[in-house]
Amino acid sequence: MNKHLSEDQITECMLGTRDDFISRHLATCEACSVAAEELRSTISCFRDSILATAQRDDSFWREQQLAIREHASAKDWYPLHWAWVAAMAMVLITAIFLTRSPNPPQNKATEDADKALLQEVQADLARDVPEALAPAVLIAEERNEILTNKEQTKSTLKERR
Amino acid sequence: MVQNERAAVLIPVQEKADLGMTALDDFTPLVRSHQQRIYRVLLGMLRDPDAAETLTQECFLKAYQRRASFRGEASVGVWLLKIAVNLARDHRRSRLREFWHRLSSPFEDVAELGQRLPDPHASQERVLLGQEEVATVWSAVEQLSPQQRAIFILRFVEEMSLEEIAAVTSLKVGTVKTHLFRAVRAIRQRLKGGGAGE
Repeated sequence: MNKHLSEDQITECMLGTRDDFISRHLATCEACSVAAEELRSTISCFRDSILATAQRDDSFWREQQLAIREHASAKDWYPLHWAWVAAMAMVLITAIFLTRSPNPPQNKATEDADKALLQEVQADLARDVPEALAPAVLIAEERNEILTNKEQTKSTLKERR
Repeated sequence: MVQNERAAVLIPVQEKADLGMTALDDFTPLVRSHQQRIYRVLLGMLRDPDAAETLTQECFLKAYQRRASFRGEASVGVWLLKIAVNLARDHRRSRLREFWHRLSSPFEDVAELGQRLPDPHASQERVLLGQEEVATVWSAVEQLSPQQRAIFILRFVEEMSLEEIAAVTSLKVGTVKTHLFRAVRAIRQRLKGGGAGE
């Protein structure tokens, strides 16, 4: 009697890749034949248990098909969704640029100084005489006033006489 | 059918639009013909019906998004399984998700899944023995690495060939076989050792 089949030889039986030697041995050795058959039967029961567990109603498969279709459809729109977001962002940026003032914002102090200078220039332009001649004008005015007063006094005295 | 499935993924969107079709119109039949298998594989890998349901949806959404990258080298089924196996692997890696899942989800334990044997005519003793053995296999499968678990499920639940499994897992056929040997050996040792509670 030959020695019994090894683990790997029993597995060969399971894989359906056994050679003539294994087949001949199984035909003559009851112990190995039973061992191989028990393993085959156990794995077959395991297979049946998975098949039974995986058995679901038709509604389950239909719902799954619908869910897949729905999600796949959403994924089709996904790139378009991002294109829409990009377009909206562009519109927003354009709107911000358009609504902005064309002049760049200036420093407030500089603006105040400019305004003051402008006012000063306008005041200068509004003057009758240049600023440098203002004392002379003042003297002339005072002199004219004195002369006017003198003339008035003289005319008053003449009238009294 | 296979040609239609390939067309669903391979025909460019513009050509479909010219034919008055939308990309979704012919993607839905593809979902219909593969969703049960994807769900089953994910259930086997994750042992969690809720996660399997969520990841099945995610798998098809990823496939839909990446349909432009499908070159038709493998079948659509292999391509979808590849996405599903990667999703399951990522899901398992997320320890945080697993933590919250354990706290909140009413996922079925080993014994409960083991009780779902389809043969109602078997003797009571045989049913109990079968339940115990199946629970032990579930427990052993959970101890496997994610890759070994995927390979084991694809071979013994989906009954895929070693070549197809190699295409799904991007491994060589020899490596797939080695993983299967290790997985079966681990399960046999667990079966010899005793029940699921070990």
